[in-house]
Amino acid sequence: MPLTRRRFLTGAAATATALPLAAAGCGFAPAGSKAAANPDTLTFTTWGTDAELAGFRAAIAGFEKANSGAKVNLNAVPYEQMFTDIDAQLQTGNPPDVFRVPYYTFGAYAGRGQLLDLSSQLPSGFGDRFTPAAWAAVQNSGKPYGVPHHTDTSAILYNTALMKGAGITDIPTKAEDAWTWDEFTAVARKLRSSLPATKFPFGYNWQGNGVTRWLNLLFQADGRFLDEQLSGPAINSDAGRAAVEFSKDFFTQKFVPPNSSVKATTYVADSWYAQTTAMVFSGAFAIPDATENLKFEWGATYAPRKVRGGGDFGGNALVVTAKAKNPKLATAFLDFVTQADPMRTFCAGASLLPTRRDLSADGIEFKIRPELSPVFVGQSRVVRATDSAQVASPSMSGIITVLKDQLDKAFVGGQSTAATISGLSSGIAQALQK
Amino acid sequence: MSRPTASRQRRAEAATAYAFLAPNVLVLALFVLLPLGWAVGLSFQRTDGFGAGRWIGFGNYLRLVGDPLFWRSTLNTVAFTVIVTPLSMALGLGAALLLNAALPARPVFRSVLIMPMAVSGVATALIGLLVFDQNNGILNGLLGAVGLPRIDWQSGGAAAFASVVLITLWWRVGFNMLIYLAGLQGLDPGLQEAALLDGAGWWQRLWYLTVPLLGPASFFLLIINVIYSFSVFDIVFVLTGGGPQNATSVLVTYAYDTAFVSRDQGYGAALGVVLLIISLVFTAVQWRTSRNRDQTG
Repeated sequence: MPLTRRRFLTGAAATATALPLAAAGCGFAPAGSKAAANPDTLTFTTWGTDAELAGFRAAIAGFEKANSGAKVNLNAVPYEQMFTDIDAQLQTGNPPDVFRVPYYTFGAYAGRGQLLDLSSQLPSGFGDRFTPAAWAAVQNSGKPYGVPHHTDTSAILYNTALMKGAGITDIPTKAEDAWTWDEFTAVARKLRSSLPATKFPFGYNWQGNGVTRWLNLLFQADGRFLDEQLSGPAINSDAGRAAVEFSKDFFTQKFVPPNSSVKATTYVADSWYAQTTAMVFSGAFAIPDATENLKFEWGATYAPRKVRGGGDFGGNALVVTAKAKNPKLATAFLDFVTQADPMRTFCAGASLLPTRRDLSADGIEFKIRPELSPVFVGQSRVVRATDSAQVASPSMSGIITVLKDQLDKAFVGGQSTAATISGLSSGIAQALQK
Repeated sequence: MSRPTASRQRRAEAATAYAFLAPNVLVLALFVLLPLGWAVGLSFQRTDGFGAGRWIGFGNYLRLVGDPLFWRSTLNTVAFTVIVTPLSMALGLGAALLLNAALPARPVFRSVLIMPMAVSGVATALIGLLVFDQNNGILNGLLGAVGLPRIDWQSGGAAAFASVVLITLWWRVGFNMLIYLAGLQGLDPGLQEAALLDGAGWWQRLWYLTVPLLGPASFFLLIINVIYSFSVFDIVFVLTGGGPQNATSVLVTYAYDTAFVSRDQGYGAALGVVLLIISLVFTAVQWRTSRNRDQTG
């Protein structure tokens, strides 16, 4: 058949029409539960550092060995795209069976019917294996919608030479000896006077998604941001005012870099790495990276206390989605990874803290800088269930926005403490109504 | 050729043309028009994205009117557009004139200017972070080294805005230069010679001859730069996150924060629709009033 111009054009046009249709039909489906049709195969989406992913792979291998025929497909994604992916998959009805979620984001899914209520899946007394703070962090309306896989909380990392240079050698080594707010302020003042104007006494890790770490100060003052029913704001209190006042002073007294407010796009840990700050509030997760990269001597101590010690219940839960095709197998996986050995291995390897009651009491040893383990384990013990339960509120994403807006205004906008508390209180009330 | 045969041929050619258009139309409909329609629908609802939203009519649009952060973001977006568009066009034209003239190592200079175009917006902003980091950045290091005061690139509102403008210019000038260079090379050199013989100076030839002749290129760049500036996101999001104190918050970063951080997706969609309307109105006004656009086709 001779190839005429018209035939060529018609053929080319037909091919051009067919190509995108073919492309749309293959290869672009996100990996969700439908991608794994076998009911004995779970899809598990997470982000993680190399050490965390190695821990997950080891746990999966152990689970598959213990459950003949079961398979877990690990889908590791960058943190930045994790929750836009999960949201899109949930909205299109194609989520993974299991995913990892920070405690402060957990409520947004649990409170909106996206997660499996585990109360009928788990054996009675299952929650007893966890610390009260950990178990409270995965509850919604009194029911568990996930398991607390690990936690992390903020202590202080310090640059030994800069501390010595300011004459600070008496650094707390026990939780009960942690600096009070007044003592911490005195330490910061000493550092301020010994450091040049371009360096700062400390940095606070409330940038990025870390604004909930400001709540540590509120908890240390024995305050709450939600009432006991978790249905109304409770920040309009003496403790709330004390926490705002104390943290505002960080900026007015030049204790922290001026570009380290809650909306900053750079993490203050970078300033500590560059020796621009003498101390930094940090989770234990930073230990491997700091050990590998820092050329100066550094140590760790406890976060300060006021009425009591307090810290963020950081870390992540593992949850099963409401549409998981094999809820029993998914629940068995959650049970397995929170048993003592897998949790110990995971936490020791990734420098994270256990959520199990027994491991928390006995303590664990990080593989890297094991001598720092007691500081972080001790710090995590001051976290109370009443603190972590508030952060699991379904309205937390809206509350986080309110915290960011109001605290930024207070720290770098000169907004008064009274106006900040008022803005926080009304903003939290609005967020709870949405 | 008989009339029915000619008519059949025309229909066949029209069908072929539509078949060629079909892939683009299909992709456009699937990935642009459908999500756009969806976003408009969302903008009339109160929804966090999970389950069915609640229909609230123009509630989200009425909320915009009393939202100070919306007005601040709109003002910032307009200011960004008004600063970046003429500057990137003027610098692009200057670079194109320079690199259209006899110059040693001209291809090297052209490549250097165009190179930022090959870098993604996010990577550009990350480079910007290294340069403008207030504590440990390259620029403040250099300023300190020569005894000049350090600038609050991240904690001062005006300086942060300036850092976004500067990094955008670094990124965008190459594209403007490329379009102007193509325009300059299409101009008739005889016209320049004639003007020169008539005694026109360099400035007069530029202002009265070159610039008007580059009208279609300028019109194209104006539209593209304005649309880009109104929809700027990646550079602001990574470099300043809209801060400090919303000094660099623009409409798209505000819409993103609202929809995906606060999960107020209906209100976020309303912000997006308003941005679309502003861009369309501007383009329509430019289209109708500009005498410089290419009239062919």
